[in-house]
Amino acid sequence: MPEIAIRTQKLTRRFGNLTAVDGIDLQVAAGQFFGFLGPNGAGKSTTIKMLTGLLAPTAGSMDLLGLDFAAHPVEVKRQIGVVPEGMGLLERLTGSEYLQFVGRMYGLDRTTTQRRANELLDFMQLADRPKTLIADYSHGMQKKLALAAAVIHGPRILFLDEPFEGVDALAAGALKALLGRMTERGTTIFLTSHVLEIVERLCSHVAIIHKGRLVAQGSLDELRAGISGEAGSKTTLEQVFLSIVGQDGTERPRLEELSWLM
Amino acid sequence: MADVVPSPIGILTQVRAVAGLRWRILRNGLRKEANRLDLLGLILVGVFSGLFVLGLCVVFFAGAYAVLSEGRFGWFGLLFWGIFLFWQLFPIFAAGFGPSFEFRSMLRFPLNLTAFYVIGLAYGLADFSAVASVCWLTSMTLGVAAARPAVLPAMLSVVALFLLLNVTLERLLGSWLERLLSRRRTRELFFALFILAMVSLNLIEPTMRHYGGLLRPLAQRVVPYFAWFPPSLAGRAIAAAAEAHFGWLALGSAGLLLYAAVFSVLLWRRFASQYRGEELSETAAPAPAAARALRQAEDSSDRLSALSPQVAAVVRKEFRYLTRNSFSFFTLIMPPVMVLIFGTMFAGKHPTSEHSVSPELLFPGIMAYLVLILMGPAYNCFAFEGRGIQTYFMAPLRFRDVFLGKNLMLLAVLGVETVLSLVMLAWLLGLPSLPVFLATMAAIVFAVIGQLSIANWSSVTFPRKLEFGQMRGQRQSGMAVLMAFAAQFVFGGVSAVVLFSGRWTGNRWLPAEAFSVLAVAAVGGYFASLDALSRVAEEKKEGLIEALCR
Repeated sequence: MPEIAIRTQKLTRRFGNLTAVDGIDLQVAAGQFFGFLGPNGAGKSTTIKMLTGLLAPTAGSMDLLGLDFAAHPVEVKRQIGVVPEGMGLLERLTGSEYLQFVGRMYGLDRTTTQRRANELLDFMQLADRPKTLIADYSHGMQKKLALAAAVIHGPRILFLDEPFEGVDALAAGALKALLGRMTERGTTIFLTSHVLEIVERLCSHVAIIHKGRLVAQGSLDELRAGISGEAGSKTTLEQVFLSIVGQDGTERPRLEELSWLM
Repeated sequence: MADVVPSPIGILTQVRAVAGLRWRILRNGLRKEANRLDLLGLILVGVFSGLFVLGLCVVFFAGAYAVLSEGRFGWFGLLFWGIFLFWQLFPIFAAGFGPSFEFRSMLRFPLNLTAFYVIGLAYGLADFSAVASVCWLTSMTLGVAAARPAVLPAMLSVVALFLLLNVTLERLLGSWLERLLSRRRTRELFFALFILAMVSLNLIEPTMRHYGGLLRPLAQRVVPYFAWFPPSLAGRAIAAAAEAHFGWLALGSAGLLLYAAVFSVLLWRRFASQYRGEELSETAAPAPAAARALRQAEDSSDRLSALSPQVAAVVRKEFRYLTRNSFSFFTLIMPPVMVLIFGTMFAGKHPTSEHSVSPELLFPGIMAYLVLILMGPAYNCFAFEGRGIQTYFMAPLRFRDVFLGKNLMLLAVLGVETVLSLVMLAWLLGLPSLPVFLATMAAIVFAVIGQLSIANWSSVTFPRKLEFGQMRGQRQSGMAVLMAFAAQFVFGGVSAVVLFSGRWTGNRWLPAEAFSVLAVAAVGGYFASLDALSRVAEEKKEGLIEALCR
């Protein structure tokens, strides 16, 4: 039985009358590269915010690495890294200053923080502009810095909200290699992305959330088999996704209505 | 292909659309529950501002009426000078209270340069200083109409020109200032010059005392040149109209028109730069210098090693933010400058009473001023975090560490400024007696530490994002301002009563003893509140993140 890195039970979040996340039961094994998918407004970011302590659940529980988040928030946070929606950078620091700030916030000593910050800046190809403020970084550079900050303390679980958005192909390749190495060494990666090809290439397991409810969860092969009815199917993740999310009778946009544009 | 091609629309339509947008932003902002409290603060500020404007409306009406009916036409220029100075200087000193809207974001729409210019100018008319000035000009016009109806047409044309040149000049000065302060080097130079100018003000009085006789003829030669400035021209034009000297009326009006044209050309050039996509942010410095800085940081010992890593990290971050934020830096520099000015003013004879002001009174008064000014930003201390606020909630720490780091930085600043002011006052006035000195020091501890708990609570309860380093388009949280006002009123009142209790009872040491007890209680209360405030921050984190991540 593999160690469970993330387990939620009946995790729920309501905003007034709207139930953004409706009693989901997630289970992610340690060392998995886990893709969390869903259409816009499905509840992905709300779930990630709850799992990383940025949002309190209305009901339900979350265990990360065997620790109840509500009872041990500081211990849990010490072992997770996050690239949140909007990246959460302090834009008036330089990249180096920000990494040092984050390292110290996670309790690393100053020498280790400095060394790791320099190594990460080198790896992310951000070292050549050490005096540039983050506010003056390009979107892709900010994304790389946010990822560097999320891993500086060597987290056991990494939460990534759209990590490759705005990152050039060269840097994306390096990041994917880094994330691959991290999972090989036992880090659990929880990733959301709208680019299904990326999820298909990187993730071994996937969960799909739709209108706040978990509608599918399992390995990619299990999901493909669930749709095509046979193991080893060549069904793509996009087909799986559209098949599951499109089953609820939601009216799809009709192109004919935009005749004035064509 | 699209069946309908968008046709060019008029500037007025676009101005209307932008006005509607601003109104909707304001209205939708107030629809949120938390912002209704903000509305309360806004209403109170609005009432006070309204009273101020209305009061001066009466003054300008009566002034214009009296000047015309009593035939003292030369005084008319003074009324215009008052409005001119207010219109141009107030926005610089009160830039933080404007509505939050990035005017340049309009550039994404298909505006031509003319439309961009007109919208920019229309924005200038929405500033408080402009609205107030227009009210006063209207009052003056009514005063003129009541006193001499025949002068009304001339008054209307002069006021129209005066209004145009003022709104143009105000936008021009604001735009230049913003550009000037956007670069570190010029910002530093600007502040150096500003401080120099402030300090130089102190030299006016002694210089006049020693060289007044020599300077008077010089001043008499210079003053006539002021007659060619816009307010004097406007005043002279109205005076000429009242005396039926239409040549002078035409000359004054032509002068105003010329000023308006020159300012318009300059403003057009500034807006054209913005229209073409001018970038105002800092530029990157060459890499080698930075590499050296990095190595230095690596080698240097940790001066904050006595603090926990988290608290030290927050203190360092606060220091960097402070030194990079021109607006905060400005509020930081002002108090010692003002202490220097007050100190110099009162070092000799009091201007009204002919007696020296005793350090026994002035010293506590100036220290109270210092606390008043420096504590203000603490009531919305997360204003500049932006999306970075999430870092605090993602990191494995108790929020008390964040409060501690921020409060320590504030205390360090306050400590440095207190010592600086102390040295200046000791040099200029001499120190007060030991009981008053000790009582003041203990009072500072009591008032500052006592306020910190309230300020921390206010910061997580009434947060409002402020754009870093910007002077224009920033508005503080209304409730945070009210909280600061109420807390400072209470602490100031208690401190004043305790200070004067020494005089009333005849026991000179009583205030020092009482403040020592209060200071100890404040420190104890502060540490006792930290954990409770951490829980409050956890409860309110969603609102805090939402307010700052916009």
